[in-house]
Amino acid sequence: MTTSGGAAVKSAPWKDPSARPYVQVDRVTKAFGDFKAVDDVSLKIYKGEIFCLLGASGCGKTTLLRMLGGFETPTSGKIFIDGEDMTGVPPYERPVNMMFQSYALFPHMNVEENVAFGLKQDRIPKAEIKERVATMLDLVKLGDFAKRKPHQLSGGQRQRVALARSLVKRPKLLLLDEPLGALDKKLREHTQFELISLQDKLGVTFVVVTHDQEEAMTLASRIGVMNHGEIVQAGTPSEIYEFPSSKFVADFVGSVNMFEGKLIEDEPEHVRIASDDMGGTIYVSHGISAPPEAIVWAAVRPEKIFMSTAQPAGTDNVVRGAVQDIAYLGDLSIYLVKLPTGKVVRVTQPNTSRHAEAITWDQQVYLSWDATSPVVVTR
Amino acid sequence: MRPFAQQKGKHLMGSVRRMAILVLGCVFTLSACGNHKSASEPAPGSADTDSGKVLNLYIWSDYLAANTLSDFEKQTGIKVHVAYFDTNETLETKLLAGSSGYDVVVPTASYFERQIKAGVYLPIDKSKLSNLKNMDPQLMSKVALHDPDNAHGIIYTWGTNGIGYNGKMIKELLPDAPLDSWRLVFDPAIASKVAKCGISVLDSPAEMMRAVYSYLGKDPNSQKPDDLVQAEAVLSKIRPYIRNINSSEYIEALANGDLCIAVGYNGDVMQARDRAREANKGIEIKYSVPKEGSILWFDMLAIPKDAPNKVSAYAFLNYIMTPQVIADVSNFKRYANGNTASQPLVMDSVKNDPGIYPPLEQRQKLAVQLADSADQTRAITRVWQKFKTGQ
Amino acid sequence: MKTAAYLRRFGISGRGLVVALPYLWLLLFFVVPFVIVLKISFSDIDLAIPPYKPLLEWVGKNSLAIKVDFNNYAFLFTDRLYINAFLNSIKVAFISTVLCALVGYPMAYGIARSKPATRNLLLLLVILPFWTSLLLRVYAWIGLLKANGVINNVLIWMGVINEPLTLLYTPFAMYVGIVYSYLPFFILPMYANLEKMDWQLLEAAEDLGCRPWQAFYKITLPLSRNGILAGSMLVFIPAVGEFVIPALLGGPNALMIGRVLWDEFFSNRAWPVASAVAILLLILLVPFMMWYQSVQARESAGAR
Ligand SMILES: Nc1ncnc2c1ncn2[C@@H]1O[C@H](COP(=O)(O)OP(=O)(O)OP(=O)(O)O)[C@@H](O)[C@H]1O
Ligand SMILES: [Mg+2]
Repeated sequence: MTTSGGAAVKSAPWKDPSARPYVQVDRVTKAFGDFKAVDDVSLKIYKGEIFCLLGASGCGKTTLLRMLGGFETPTSGKIFIDGEDMTGVPPYERPVNMMFQSYALFPHMNVEENVAFGLKQDRIPKAEIKERVATMLDLVKLGDFAKRKPHQLSGGQRQRVALARSLVKRPKLLLLDEPLGALDKKLREHTQFELISLQDKLGVTFVVVTHDQEEAMTLASRIGVMNHGEIVQAGTPSEIYEFPSSKFVADFVGSVNMFEGKLIEDEPEHVRIASDDMGGTIYVSHGISAPPEAIVWAAVRPEKIFMSTAQPAGTDNVVRGAVQDIAYLGDLSIYLVKLPTGKVVRVTQPNTSRHAEAITWDQQVYLSWDATSPVVVTR
Repeated sequence: MRPFAQQKGKHLMGSVRRMAILVLGCVFTLSACGNHKSASEPAPGSADTDSGKVLNLYIWSDYLAANTLSDFEKQTGIKVHVAYFDTNETLETKLLAGSSGYDVVVPTASYFERQIKAGVYLPIDKSKLSNLKNMDPQLMSKVALHDPDNAHGIIYTWGTNGIGYNGKMIKELLPDAPLDSWRLVFDPAIASKVAKCGISVLDSPAEMMRAVYSYLGKDPNSQKPDDLVQAEAVLSKIRPYIRNINSSEYIEALANGDLCIAVGYNGDVMQARDRAREANKGIEIKYSVPKEGSILWFDMLAIPKDAPNKVSAYAFLNYIMTPQVIADVSNFKRYANGNTASQPLVMDSVKNDPGIYPPLEQRQKLAVQLADSADQTRAITRVWQKFKTGQ
Repeated sequence: MKTAAYLRRFGISGRGLVVALPYLWLLLFFVVPFVIVLKISFSDIDLAIPPYKPLLEWVGKNSLAIKVDFNNYAFLFTDRLYINAFLNSIKVAFISTVLCALVGYPMAYGIARSKPATRNLLLLLVILPFWTSLLLRVYAWIGLLKANGVINNVLIWMGVINEPLTLLYTPFAMYVGIVYSYLPFFILPMYANLEKMDWQLLEAAEDLGCRPWQAFYKITLPLSRNGILAGSMLVFIPAVGEFVIPALLGGPNALMIGRVLWDEFFSNRAWPVASAVAILLLILLVPFMMWYQSVQARESAGAR
């Protein structure tokens, strides 16, 4: 798991209250009948960002994107692009291009014609069209397929045509709906990299929809996590990963061990939680805002848990369990450790040494973590 | 021969359509049309033995008195299956295709004549028809021109072709218009003047050619190519003045004043007259048999050679010749019959209607329409196509 | 069970029957009638039952003579009438097809783009007229178009015209009748085609800078080409032989091959010549039918 983030935005305009957002979504709701596909979403996306919308299937990502593209009218709220109110502005007049989740390639045109379509529409000189299309096809590695019709291509190839077609117009804002889903790992990583460099070169602002958190982490300057039509948290990949604001985000982004417990000590610089789940107490070295005795959750990432056969010092943040399962992944191993309470804790350990003294099945181990590691969420 | 021509037109197309399907159905697997077969048609030849218990009758629609068939069934115990046709062509096609399964059919005499030659009909054993003595010898002798010795059929009803007109409308355009002459239609000098109020002719080449021949003073049954050339010339000159060429629409059009002159059948014109009277809009339709002469038509009762129930067929023919039976047909359907013995039983309003029973001086101008040779038929059809389409 | 096994011994299986059924149908309702009509077209006219001479005849004791008469075909070329009638029928069918396309395409488009619930209702309305006989519907048009018919009366009542317009028995009335009657044959295949259309393609086109009408012209229209062709063939092919509607609504000068065939068959009783006309008409239409077939094949193969 990389948490570095591929953001091309070196500064952090979202932290600067005076910065002007390129895209502003202002309390937008989209209802289909009684059902709110997008529910009171507000967002600010800045020039040059790669903003990823991350969320489970059906949470409203496409719908939000379609409103940005002008294919769906918000039931309420407003969208501004480059400061302009987009209400009533049709898609063909927005400085926006979209790559559709279903690709929407024109079946009666070959790859070349598909990619050239938008340029022809803008009456760009023929020679330039030719050159730009060729460059773009090379970029997506489809140079040899220029004369093929979409139905003669594989799923991944089609996806690349769709990508090329939306990129070739060099829009100010590019909306990508699951742009890399059908690509194999290698090509996906390559294209991710290309997207970032393209974004560097062209200064395009991207809004990328994905349900692949790793992709979001790699690409995004910021991630907006969506759930049931709402943006539950927006932030840089590391913020989202390290400081999830809710159980949902913590759980959705990466894997996490969630211990439910009661707040028994609530000081400004630390808290202590008694967790029946864990069968012990959790000490966290920062304060939180929650009423005393509140039910809270402490989230501990698997890689932040130490595992040892010898008992560590202290009583907080320590628990004993039996190794139930081990998955060897090469660079690291995943251990599932069953606590006496019945809860199973997930632990990852880097395989630093080739002949380490191996921990094996059914072995009794101690788990522990630093006081800085848990994130306490109240919802 | 033409009961309810209004309906007839509709069915004409129905049958044509049926025919077109027959001929072209194989061509158009995509054929657009539904099935227009009328539901009332019984399976012909539903009795396979000549038991004398069943009769399959094929007749024009609306051509029987209400009690005609029920009384026959009561008297004889013979069950009648009746089917209706709407054009002589429909009937003829069924007969010529063979094995029609009908026992008694009702062809018009000019068709009847040709069908006899094609060997369609059973020569009648006159000894089996005791009521034959009731028939009008004068009319029977006219029919004998079609069917020598009246060997193949008996008269059911008869009538004339002529001109139906709206005198008032014509007079407004041409006060001295010759209402009793074919000149009204075929003389360009006159037709051009009255064309404005609407002239219609029958879409029936053979019958119309008779009318032109009568106008030209020729033998109405002439087979001379020369005569046809002259007739064609007459037709081409009056074409611009003819509004409708149609065998059924003229009834309503005459009745409501859309037409003032229609070459047509006496029965149809009478119907137009009655409708105009009912509408009570001051439209008065009259019928004339042109003084140059016109056609006398007969609808015959005849038995196909392959009739499955010949005993029943004879019984039916004899029954129809009963004076009261045929008088009822005349009284209720308002067609002239050829049965002398029935005349006292025919109501005065029918008997004295010149549109139904033509006065004596008109009768003398009437000729029968003999069947044309195949070549003449083709030639007439072609002239008519040219007349209609200008091609 | 036993019978099934028995039949299988002769290579007859349920599946075989299902495959054979369409062929049986074709044999019975296409090949057989066609052969009969073809046979009649080569025979001589006769005043008999049936009204044509047999092709095969026993002459003498042991010899069978075949008499094939090509004159019926040759005859069709001696008189301009037949050629003109063919040409005119094609012209009428062509114009009708174009009109059907112009009226039917927007209707099919509208139906394809409406909500699924409304869609079924609209389709039902398109098919509904078929529940009545064609003749009745054409007669209804007479009632609308005649001099004192509904249309004229309404126009006079509204004060648009003073004198009734001559609508009935004109080419206008004929085209109205044909287009009205054949419209469903255009709309249904057109709808079937448009219904498969991925409307997101239009969004994609608009996204790439097309105005809606440009998107229609560049995307929808080329993609629905097969539907247009299929619908057009379904209108054109039967319209060439159309006879009832021109006869009832058109003027007397509407020279149609169907009418000529009618005249040959009924007025002249020339079954052989009528059959020759029918066969020629078929030959004339075969290329169109084959075209239609290939369009259909392409359409079901899904390739555009
Ligand atoms: N036109 C519509 N009418 C009714 N409901 C809709 C419509 N479009 C979307 N929805 C509903 O809105 C919700 C959000 O849909 P959306 O397509 O935005 O999901 P998504 O987040 O893109 O999901 P996925 O990852 O599967 O693409 C879904 O429950 C969907 O069923
Ligand atoms: Mg989606």
